[in-house]
Amino acid sequence: MFEVALVAAWALMAFATDRGGFSGLIVGGGGLLWCASTIPLLGDYRHRLDAEPGVRWLRLVGPFLVAVGYGVAAGAVVGSWQLALLPIIQSLVLLNWQRGVRYKVVIAATIVLAVVAVADSTLDASDPIPVLVPAAYTVFLPVMTVTSLWWWDVLITLDRARASEARLAATQERLRVATDVHDLQGHHLQVIALQLELAERLLPTDGDAALEQLRAARVSVDEARQGTRDLATRFRSVPLGDELANARDLLTAAGLEVEAAIDADADAAPASALGPVIRETTTNVLRHGGGRRARLVLTRIADAWRYEIANDVTSGSEDEHDGSGLHGVRRRIQEVDGTLEVRRDAEEFVVIVTVPVRLGQVR
Amino acid sequence: MIRVLLADDEAMIRSALAALLRLEDDIEVIAECADGEQAVAAALRLQPDVCLLDLEMPGLDGVQVAEKLNRAIATRCIVVTRHARPGVLRRALASGVAGFLPKSRGADEVAAVIRRVAAGARYVDPEIAADALSDERSPLTDRELDVLRAGRRGETTGQIARALSLAPGTVRNHISVILGKLSVGTRQQAVLIAEERGWI
Repeated sequence: MFEVALVAAWALMAFATDRGGFSGLIVGGGGLLWCASTIPLLGDYRHRLDAEPGVRWLRLVGPFLVAVGYGVAAGAVVGSWQLALLPIIQSLVLLNWQRGVRYKVVIAATIVLAVVAVADSTLDASDPIPVLVPAAYTVFLPVMTVTSLWWWDVLITLDRARASEARLAATQERLRVATDVHDLQGHHLQVIALQLELAERLLPTDGDAALEQLRAARVSVDEARQGTRDLATRFRSVPLGDELANARDLLTAAGLEVEAAIDADADAAPASALGPVIRETTTNVLRHGGGRRARLVLTRIADAWRYEIANDVTSGSEDEHDGSGLHGVRRRIQEVDGTLEVRRDAEEFVVIVTVPVRLGQVR
Repeated sequence: MIRVLLADDEAMIRSALAALLRLEDDIEVIAECADGEQAVAAALRLQPDVCLLDLEMPGLDGVQVAEKLNRAIATRCIVVTRHARPGVLRRALASGVAGFLPKSRGADEVAAVIRRVAAGARYVDPEIAADALSDERSPLTDRELDVLRAGRRGETTGQIARALSLAPGTVRNHISVILGKLSVGTRQQAVLIAEERGWI
């Protein structure tokens, strides 16, 4: 930015002083070209945190040639040593110097530019006013450039710190879960080992008691498994809309023709009440279905949410729909003052659930 | 008698389950296989009524075996898994798997499911269905996931193309779409994200 402003200032100065538009054109146009040529330098600087410190000379030949060319041309046209030196010095400042070297480079550059500015003004004292402004800017350019680069570095560092903080939190959470799993499994394994040992001892003398211990061990295994599963799924919850989309995908994958009408605000529907219903009913359709069509609807009607799932009835599947699963669902829905309606006719099996919005909001 | 083929790479589990199933009056275990390729070969030779396939096997996994068998012979496949990765139930249903069970179910329950599936019904375990419904949605299509999966160990575009029988240009197109959707710069980063979220 500073570069562009500075080039504009020099160009204006060149216009203002003399020699028609020609010198202004060279200074302005060449300046833009030079500014563009410094972009690779900035790009290298941008990635310097990932790259080795130091300078890749080969890549720099182009920008430096442009800088020297512009310096010579513009300096000759305007008759200013300062303008001649500016591009090459600015390019040097933009290089990826190692820590500690950069500020020396900046100080040296500023001194050189200041000295040349003084030299310029003694050479051509006839018209000092218009030269003064760009000259002063030029002297400060290295400092301003480095300051903004420093800001840039600070922002990048902050950004990275934020990302690593999030990673750290995730790692800690994982460690905590790992500890929980370890404790849980360790406890259950110990119980199971004891039960098996007891069964082994009892076997020669009391077969029935041994059998009882073996059954107890099986129950312990189930408990351990269920506990582990609860730990693993403790943090799993997806928005209701995603759950319905998953349901649609699963039914489609199972070879059903799925007709879905899902409200765009589905994520706002009460997930705690409707989630288990969706899971239960989808599983039912999946496992008993074997049909060809299914319909999934979630709509907002007045002050309630209405969920409907329907599938075509196939022979032999009727008696299995009223399993204990739906009773559990009915109880949950009644707890939030909702209604559950099960309808079966010759062609379709339909479950319709409505849940009032008011209660839905208090999740 | 229901003729059953068992495939599981864990020998202890395979032999214990086979022994337990043999105790059932109406079930006959006709083959025990240690990996996917063996299972396909044995099933084509023996034409079992039901194949009980472990999902996690070296070489071909359970769903791939089921897919191959369903195209070739009239057998019903049940896939068993210790941990159902997201998306796997959808993949299994799409390739015509008739049953899906977690490994933790007892042999009596497995026998019941074998009977149901042999009778022509489908069985999806509620636990696995619940997991599948709470999968995080992936913005990638199945084909794009295939490309990531085939290239997850840093395979070249050419190798991915051969593995999926696609043109290299198509693979490159898929990859650039994937990078755009996940807003990452390299295929390796995309693979990492997909693995982290359990999409592949």
